[in-house]
Amino acid sequence: MDPMFMGQVMVRLLPPLGLTMILSITALAIATPLGLALGARRAELPDRHPAARAIDAWVFFVRGTPILIQIFAIYFLLPKLGLQLPLFIMGVGALVLNSAGYQIEIGRSAVQSVPQGQWEAAAALGFDRRATLRQFILPQAARRMVGPVMNELSQLIKASSVLSVITLFELHKAAESISSANLRFSEVIVVEGFLYFIFIFGVSLIASVLERRLSAAGALADSGSFAR
Amino acid sequence: MSFDWAAFFEYLPRLIRAAGVTLQVSLLSLGLACLLAPALALARLLGPAPLRAIVQAFIEVIRGLPPLVVIAFCYFALPKLGVVLSGFWCGVLALGVVGAVYAAEIIRSAIESLGKGQFEAALALGFARWRAVLEILLPQAMRRILPPLTNEFANLIKASSLLSVISVHEISQVGQSLIFETFVVIEILVQMAVLYLIIIGGVTMLSRRLERGLGA
Repeated sequence: MDPMFMGQVMVRLLPPLGLTMILSITALAIATPLGLALGARRAELPDRHPAARAIDAWVFFVRGTPILIQIFAIYFLLPKLGLQLPLFIMGVGALVLNSAGYQIEIGRSAVQSVPQGQWEAAAALGFDRRATLRQFILPQAARRMVGPVMNELSQLIKASSVLSVITLFELHKAAESISSANLRFSEVIVVEGFLYFIFIFGVSLIASVLERRLSAAGALADSGSFAR
Repeated sequence: MSFDWAAFFEYLPRLIRAAGVTLQVSLLSLGLACLLAPALALARLLGPAPLRAIVQAFIEVIRGLPPLVVIAFCYFALPKLGVVLSGFWCGVLALGVVGAVYAAEIIRSAIESLGKGQFEAALALGFARWRAVLEILLPQAMRRILPPLTNEFANLIKASSLLSVISVHEISQVGQSLIFETFVVIEILVQMAVLYLIIIGGVTMLSRRLERGLGA
């Protein structure tokens, strides 16, 4: 272990760390409203409705395949369809495809976890379904979404490392190319791991504080998972 | 753009063989995880303070890293420390450790969710601490452990796709190299996706059945 070299590696890895942050935060910013809105909508649709089937198919595909396959699908299929996009857009697109699929489930189960009595009470007071959803159900469901959605950010940071396979120079790809150029694998991996850990651990700390403040007791707490 | 069934069936056998490797690597790492996870969970619950701190730090570090980094560490950094493993066994080790850490957290939180009363009652009856956990708490916690654990197994299978970067010949690696070799994109991608959907769908169904069976 050579501290001087590790210091240099750290400095060189900061811009790629920035790219990792931008990728995962952009993807979260798009996937969260999209996924939660679709999920809330899905909770209301009957199973046989065509839109419900389409949403279910999305969730089924995303949860049943590794994110690597989803990245390949975007990377190889879009050019086949005549769409040449910059790597960054493809990367964000793959993360959104993946994360929205998981967040649909978050939105759906949060809305469904609001007791049926709330719907009935609002109906008895003369509110129609839309007003009930907007004024009574969503505010209660939203508190249950906070924890899982924050957790989604650390999942996205971890998932963004897989974008290295399409040569997007985020943190993992950059570390890989530095280590193979210098043939010093262990030092670079330690620095890379340190940066990921600080970023992900920081996010999960913020998440648990937010969750404690905002979310209702017995919310859909999720200890997180390691792979997509 | 049309679907070329001839190409589809030409490459299918190779991908099915690769699916065998995906299953092997996932099952072996599941085995490793099942051995390690209870040890980690018990060490974190019952161990002496320094051991508890070390185990907790280890769990937090692995949870704070993308699995790809753990895999790269096992493959590139462990040989420097004198541990040389083939890509396959490296994958088993990396996935096994990552899986064990998440499973340990599931076990720990399931045991803690039972509340202190059970543990205290067992101690009052003269059980040793570790026997109280193993014989009284763990059996009760099992119904809260098994369903999320099968879910983690599905995640393990998904994570095995990452072993393509250390050239383990599983579905993703074989599919990717076939695509670059033949430029047959859609047919091969469909095969890869369907094979994963079958394997992961099977595990998910098993998990649902377990959940219902245990009434958790």
